[in-house]
Order: sequence, then structure tokens, then C-alpha cells
Amino acid sequence: MVVPPILKDLFRIKKLDVSLGVIVGLLLISIFGSILYRVNPLAISGPPEQPPSKDFPLGTDSWGRDLLALLLAGIRNSLYIGVTAALISLSIGVITGVISGFKGGVTDSSLMLITDVVLVSPSILIMMLVAAYLKERNPIFVSLIIGVTSWPWVARAMRSQIMSLKSRDFMYMSRMAGLSDMKIIIEDLLPNMASYTFMAFVLLMSGGMIAEAGLSMIGLGVTKGLSLGIILYWAQILESVRRGMWWWFGPPGACLVALAASLLLMSTALDEYFSPRLKGG
Amino acid sequence: MSILALLEAKGVKAYYSVRRGYVQAVDNVDLVINKGTTLGLAGESGCGKSTLVNTLMMNVKPPLHLIEGTIILDSKVISDMGMSILKKNIWGVIVSLVPQSALNALMPTKSIEGFVRDVIGHHMSVSDSEIMSMAKKRFEELNLPVEALSMYPHELSGGMKQRSVIAISTLLNPKLLIVDEPTSALDVSTQKQVLRMLIDLRKTGITESMVFVTHDIAVLKQIADRITIMYAGKIVESAPTDNMLYDPKHPYTYSLINAVVTPEPEVRKRGLTSIPGEPPNLLDPPKGCRFHPRCLKAMDICKSIEPNLLERWGNHLVACHLFPSNS
Amino acid sequence: MNPFVRFLARRIAFLITTFIVFLLVIFALPRAIPGNPLATLLAQIFQQFQANPDLVRTVEKKLMEEFGFGKPLHIQFYEFVGRLFRGDLGMSVAFYPRKVADLVFVYLPWSLGLLIPATLVSWVIGNLLGALAAYKRKKAVDNALLPVFLTLSQTPYYWLAMILLYIFAVSFRIFPLSGAYSTLRMPSLTLSFILDMLYHYILPFFSIVLGAIGGWAIGMRSMVIYELGADYVSYSDSLGLPDGKVLRYVFKNSMLPQVTGLALNLGTVLGGALITELVFSYPGTGYLVFRALSTLDYPMIQGTFILLISTLLLANFIVDLVYAYIDPRIRTGYVGE
Repeated sequence: MVVPPILKDLFRIKKLDVSLGVIVGLLLISIFGSILYRVNPLAISGPPEQPPSKDFPLGTDSWGRDLLALLLAGIRNSLYIGVTAALISLSIGVITGVISGFKGGVTDSSLMLITDVVLVSPSILIMMLVAAYLKERNPIFVSLIIGVTSWPWVARAMRSQIMSLKSRDFMYMSRMAGLSDMKIIIEDLLPNMASYTFMAFVLLMSGGMIAEAGLSMIGLGVTKGLSLGIILYWAQILESVRRGMWWWFGPPGACLVALAASLLLMSTALDEYFSPRLKGG
Repeated sequence: MSILALLEAKGVKAYYSVRRGYVQAVDNVDLVINKGTTLGLAGESGCGKSTLVNTLMMNVKPPLHLIEGTIILDSKVISDMGMSILKKNIWGVIVSLVPQSALNALMPTKSIEGFVRDVIGHHMSVSDSEIMSMAKKRFEELNLPVEALSMYPHELSGGMKQRSVIAISTLLNPKLLIVDEPTSALDVSTQKQVLRMLIDLRKTGITESMVFVTHDIAVLKQIADRITIMYAGKIVESAPTDNMLYDPKHPYTYSLINAVVTPEPEVRKRGLTSIPGEPPNLLDPPKGCRFHPRCLKAMDICKSIEPNLLERWGNHLVACHLFPSNS
Repeated sequence: MNPFVRFLARRIAFLITTFIVFLLVIFALPRAIPGNPLATLLAQIFQQFQANPDLVRTVEKKLMEEFGFGKPLHIQFYEFVGRLFRGDLGMSVAFYPRKVADLVFVYLPWSLGLLIPATLVSWVIGNLLGALAAYKRKKAVDNALLPVFLTLSQTPYYWLAMILLYIFAVSFRIFPLSGAYSTLRMPSLTLSFILDMLYHYILPFFSIVLGAIGGWAIGMRSMVIYELGADYVSYSDSLGLPDGKVLRYVFKNSMLPQVTGLALNLGTVLGGALITELVFSYPGTGYLVFRALSTLDYPMIQGTFILLISTLLLANFIVDLVYAYIDPRIRTGYVGE
């Protein structure tokens, strides 16, 4: 298989390797771990509130459930919601930003007004508000709520990218050739923004996971769901901190931080790689 | 060092260190600037002129390094001085640099007079009112509106900014003013204003000596007493203005100047950039004379031996095998 | 019109627009969600006040009245806004018969007392550290600090709270386990009460500060690195100005976008702080919101949100005011990019 040269270059960046290593590592652990460690996370596996031991590598919670099993499932679900929310945010943000930047004028002003209103609004509060009024919250819905409140910065960033690209020579050429707006967007603009879009996706994913954890912490996560945030929610409700059960609230939070920090590191590394290029090209 | 000389540079090598080696931006350059003269330094982009003038005042920071050479300014060996001494006693006081993009040289959140206070206040301990009167006087001398002092950079036009920067650079009456590309980023009418200002600086005696970098022949004609041409990090020819413009010796200079002395406006606007071929890669410059790959009169010897800069015909120097030393 | 005033007027108009949008959203939500959320609430009230059927009926009646079901939509909205401007945020169900407005005003000061100092402190220190890291890049200081900031910036305040609580209150028993003051005391203006309060304040405060510092440091570091490459830096330097002075210029220029960033970040900080309060059982608005959400106390949910949004928008405006004052370009009407 021929590896495209850009991938070769990227894999040489240390920061990228480290961050990808953490994310992919945790993902693989959670997938294969669940296969190898066949414990039903939601079943009562043993005596409650046990510290880590040979039988229970991460101990048990107040109901006697195996925390390692919970953690593995939780990682998967948190990643899932992170990715879904990121895709939703990305779509809204990119479409809004591109249309706004490309069309300009009244379209631009009105779209940006909407963007600014959503930007100023505290997303956590809005999410809490919407989630509170819904009895049943499935993962798609939670992702939707998160996605719909986190897109403004993406829209603004895309818009500035488009606006700076708009004035470049190759754009002028396409216009002179009489290409339709849609064609110009697809053929000229999007390829140039691919790198930026990917970085935005990574950041959105990180933010989405943390947002989901926040919602879950106050009981508004996926109903009857299981994620890193929900494990923390139970840990909080059942006073695990004050009762010294560090094995309950420690690992899920640590995994969440590890995933989010790696995503951020990845995005920083990508930014460093692509930006000097953009300036030169 | 001769009594007439204000600045003397000998054997200066200033290279940029990059991952793959050294970019030989300024290679073994000898230069003398006499008191009361204005030297025009010209050449294609990338020939090393900006690097050279920065090095002349020892504004050398990594990745740029002064590999070899001595620079004597106003009888002081500045190539041996540490940064703090340079900053306190030399920069701004004896020599000042007007940077290439003077339009962005002023801090957006400070008023002009705020900046002036900082600059003068650092070098001289005088009262605030004295600082302001110095600034006002200088602005008036150079036909700049005194109101500009209390404004912020974004309130001034491009031309005003450029001229203010030049004025600020002269506030401490440095003996040498280095101006890097004074006209490249400006429109024609502003260019005229800036040029007039530079001429005024000479006429009123505010600035004794000047070096400016440019690739604009019109500018050279108007204010330079002497022109020095650089190519690929080396000086190839140096002569008084009239001699250079009407009787250039080096093949490079010859094609540059003759390429421009045509009535077509587009060609004149292009300035000294209209020779076929590309300047060499300074990481690994060609052996012998660096111009030989593009030279129409290249001989065998040019490919292997580097020509020295020799003084011929009075104070007209040239580095070319076509004009070997008077044996 | 004075450009300064023009800028502020534009911002006020924008913030008011946002507020109105919020009112509409808060108004529309309970009425738009399918499956009548009010029915659930009523069922809960019935359960809660089972012993007292009269009370149930009174509460039901009050709720119907407040939400105005049965009346045409625009009348409902009209009454809603009218009551709002009279300061009437309705009556809480979970805390019946206390009024929402009263409850919020008891709990809000504790939240603000935690939020405002913590935000300011983390912003100032974060920016200073970021500038330091940028100035000393490629040296040990920067390389060591960067991953720390990176990780901290992605650590939720409430998890940090759990860790700090566990280490310092449970394991080492240095700090108290919960609350804003000892349960045995009544709030008073005595020195001993104030000290007790501060003692309880430290862990929650640090949870928020440490959680927020990372983000500011990273942002400032990038800004300063960018500004250090600016032309005015090399020019000032070439005129002999000392490093310290030039750094002050850079700092001043880098601060401006950080002030804007503060305004944009307020919402996130608010959310995180509220959840952190829960971990510490701190008697702030977080507790109210949590109770309201878990008991589906809709009047309370509505009321707290309206108040929190208003506080947030007001804070935004204050930050805008500060920015307009310190950026000379606003004062002189620069209509930049």
C-alpha cells in the first residue's frame, strides 16, 4: 500500500504520535478489553465498595459492579458521543461559515448575528435546559444538544478562512471561467480547508466529550446510559469522594482528561504543521 | 582606519544557520562608508542587502550569526560589543535603522509621543517637556504635522507612518541612518514625500551619513552619492552614482541598469529585477564567481576562481575577471 | 456620535437581543416539548404533597395560573414577561411555598463569591504564566510547563474538585469536607465566621482556579509568541529599548484579545463552577439548579436560568466596557477587520 507522503510527514511529528497513541490505545483497550474481560458492567459482580484487588482490578462501586468493566464501556460510549457531537457541530459550523463567508452581504450579517447569539449563550446552561425538559434522552439526542450549541467558533473560523481565500488568484480564475458558486465551493475552497476542518473536528470531539460529562454529572446525560461522565455522576451522588473510594472517581476522570488532552495535543501538532505551510503557500 | 570613514566593515561573513547548514547571506564583504555620504545598496531580492545593513549595526540575532569579520563604527569596534552595550550606547544614538515595513513598525496601542518618550527617555535623562519639545522641533523641521504626535498609528496614513518612523529614528541624532527599502511598500505620491524627507535630512544636516537599501533606480539617482551593488551575498561593484549609472563595468550591473533605462514604464517599475535566470541558492553557492551561471560574458576562469573586489579607476571598485588588477 | 458610545450601544443592543431570544426559548420549551412535561410535574406534586390534598390542588392551580395553559399563547407570553419585569419569577414547587426569586437571591451570592474571584485570579495568573512560557520558549521552563497547562486546560473543574477534596480533606484532613461554613454556625459578620468561611472557601476556589489557568496560559502563550515576531518588536529593539520595555509592549498588545476571550469564556466557567459546587455541597446556585432539575421544579428551573443568563450577559457587558476603555482603537473609532 502506498502511503501518501503527507501521512509519512505527519507521523514523524512526535506530539502527534504521542496523542494518537493515547487515543487509539485507549480505544483499542476499551474495545478489546471488553472482549477479553468478559464482565457485564451493569451486573452485580461482587461485594460492594471494594478497593482494587486481584479479582477486581479497579474495585467495585456501591452496587457491587465491576469498575474496570464500567470504565471500558464508558470510554467507548464517551468517544461515541464525542464523535457524533463533533460531526453535528462541524456540519453546522462549516456550512454556516462557508455560506456566510462566500456570499457576504446581508446573508453574512444575518448568519453572523445568529452565530454571535449562540456564541454568547452559555452552552452548558442551554443544554441543561433542553435536556431537563426531555424525559428520555438517547445518545443521538444528547449528541445533538451538544452539537447544536458548540458550532459558533467553527463557523467564524471557516468564514475567515473563506474570506481570505476568496481574494486569492485561483478564485479569480474560477470566477472568470464562469463556474457556478457550488462548483467553486466544492472544487476550489474545500480542499484548501481540509486541514483546518480536521483540526476543528478534533477540538470539537474533545469539547463534546467534556460537555457530555458535564451534562451527565448533573443527571442529564443519556438516560440509562453508561459513559465516563455517568460513572462520575454515580460516584458523586453516592459520596465516593468523602468515603475515600478513589478507585471509583479517579480512573474515569483520568481517562476523560487523557482523551481530551490528547485530542488537544493532536490539534496543536496539526496546527503547527499546517500553519507555516499555509503562510508560505 | 581612514579619518574620513564613519563605518568600516572588513571581511564580514554573516550566515543564517538552518537545519541543513548555513545560508551564506553575506559572504566576505568589505565596505566603507565615509562621513557625510549617502550610500545606496542595491541588488535583487535575496542578495543579502537587508542582512548586510542589519549586520553593519550588529543587529545580529539567531539564526543569523556573525561568523567572521570586524565592524568599526565611529571609531568603536562594535563587532566586539555585547548586546546591552549596543542597545544603550550605539543603537538609536550613533546608528538607527528604519525597518523595511515601517508601516507596521509602530505599536498599535501606543501613541506616537508615548513611543517617543520611551525611546528618548531610555537613552537620555531629560525631563518630559524637553522630550516633547525635541520631538516637536524635529517634526517641524521635517515638515510633519505636530498633531501626529498625539495620535495612534491607526489614525495615520501609510505615508505619514513611514515618515514618522523615519523622524523618530533621527531623534537622537545618530551619525548614521540606515533605511531599508524606504519606498517599496508605498504608492508613487507617498514615495515622493518620503524621498523628499530623506533629501531634507541630508540638506539640513540632521543626518550626516545614510545607507539605504533599494532596488529602485530613481531613488538611487536622487539621493545616493555612491552606489554599491550586491549579488548573492557578495559586493560586485561599487562606484560614485554617476559613474555607476552611466558606465557600469560588471556584467550584472550593466544588464540591470541598461534593462531599466528604457522609456517603457512597466520595465522601469520593475526596477532591478529583470535579468533572465534565478539567483543562486545561498546554502550551496556556485563555485568561482557566483554570477557565472547567468553571465553572458562568462569565461573559464569564472567557473573556478572567485574574483576579488578591486579598486580601479579611482574609487570605482569591481569584482570581475574581465577587469583584473593592474599588473 | 462618539465612537466609544457607538461601540457600547451596539453591544447593548446585541446583548438585549440575546436576552430576548433566551426569554423566547425558555417560554417555548415547556410548551413545545411533546408529552406534556407539566403532567409529570403534577404527578410528582401529587406524590410530594399526598398527605394534603388541599395543598395539592392549590399548587396545581397556582402552576396552571403561572404557566397560563388554556390561554392563548401571546397572552401567556405577555403575562410571562410582565411578571418578569415585576421581579416575580414564580413559586418553587420543591421548596413550596417559597418564591423562586427569594431562593435565588439567597444562593446566588455564594456562587458569585466563588466565581468572580476565581475567574479573575485564574485569568491574571494564567496570562502571566503564558507570557512567561512564551518569553522563555525552547528552554526548560516552557517545555515543562506546556504539557501541564495542556492537561489542566482539559481537566473539568469538578473532577479536579474531587481529587482535591479527596487528597486534602479526606486523606490529609487539612480542609473541611463540605459546605461554605461549618454546619453548626449561623452566618454573621464576625471575624471568626469570616475565617471559617475562608477555610471552607479554599478548596472550591482552587478547583476552579487550577481548572481555568491552563486554558488562559496556552492562549496567552500563543498570542505572545505571535506578537514577539511583530515588526514593532524588532523596531523598538533596534532603537535600543531594553527587553523589559519591549516585553511590556508585547504584553499590552496580547492582553487585548485575552480580554475578549474572557467575555466568551464566562459561560463555560459558569457551567463548570456550578457542577463544582455540587462536589463540595457548596450552597450556591449550583445546588439550586441541581435540585430544580432533579425534582423537575419547572418554575425554579425557569427562574434560575433567567437569572443566570442575565448575570452572564451583564458580566459580558462589563468586560466589553473594560475592553472599550483599554483599546485605543475603539476610542478613536477604528473600524478594523
